[in-house]
Amino acid sequence: MTNRNELVNTELAHYTFTVERGKIREMALAIGDDNPLYTNPDYAREQGYRDVIAPPTFGICIDLWGGHDFTALCKKLQLNPLKVLHGEQEYRYYDDICPGDQLEAVCRLKNYIDKGKMYLFCLETEYRDQAGKTVLVSRCNIIERK
Amino acid sequence: MAKEILFADLAQADTLPPLSKPPIDRAQLVRYAGASGDFNPLHYADEIGHLAGTGGVIAHGMLIMAFAGQAVTQWVPNRCLRRFAVRFVDITRLGDQITVSGRITETRLENGTGVVVGEMTAADQQGSIKLKGTFEATLPLQGAGL
Repeated sequence: MTNRNELVNTELAHYTFTVERGKIREMALAIGDDNPLYTNPDYAREQGYRDVIAPPTFGICIDLWGGHDFTALCKKLQLNPLKVLHGEQEYRYYDDICPGDQLEAVCRLKNYIDKGKMYLFCLETEYRDQAGKTVLVSRCNIIERK
Repeated sequence: MAKEILFADLAQADTLPPLSKPPIDRAQLVRYAGASGDFNPLHYADEIGHLAGTGGVIAHGMLIMAFAGQAVTQWVPNRCLRRFAVRFVDITRLGDQITVSGRITETRLENGTGVVVGEMTAADQQGSIKLKGTFEATLPLQGAGL
């Protein structure tokens, strides 16, 4: 069994994701968010965007459909799926994410703490576009109850 | 063209217009599972909920964050959002009706642009808090004259 401490500051996952208009629309409809910036390219362009844009929590879709899903994460960190909670989530935005963008994501374990009743994992994911520019950074805390 | 929101429009301690979502039903969770790629059965199969000790299906935390994101992007334009962070406080069940409330906590000038910081909570029909969060946005000081 890998010592979890040895995983700190290492790359947990590296994946790519091509943004599609339909995926953005599906996400907006599932949320019930009728912001036309997610579904109407003409409206989005009128507002000065390149195309429709991804909603603020689209990062989760990049992760899970990009291959870094819950099962893979549990395996990598040796987590019991029934004991896992998503504690905190933060996104920092550096540019719009639009259809056609080819994103590359790298997820690292930044910290791992034994808090007594639970284990805390701090993960950071950086998303770069096809030009190598960072467009989004995600930080999340995952809790595993003991 | 939607009305441009300027820095001066969001004065400190301004209460932001709340967003009320319809009750969460199983169809929404199934849709969100497909859209986000989070197929943890805890979000659609009651028996898994019983195993995990939640007493049944619970909503994806990220769906509640998405509701908060919908509210934030009604308060500030998408392109102005710099940071959005939440802490998941409690589980959300089928039938829960989420309202996202927010207020501005800080405004400051930075490099010739206006920075606004705000906080939000997402609570159910009983006022029980599901999520607490903060956001930061940069807003223009003057209109672009469009």
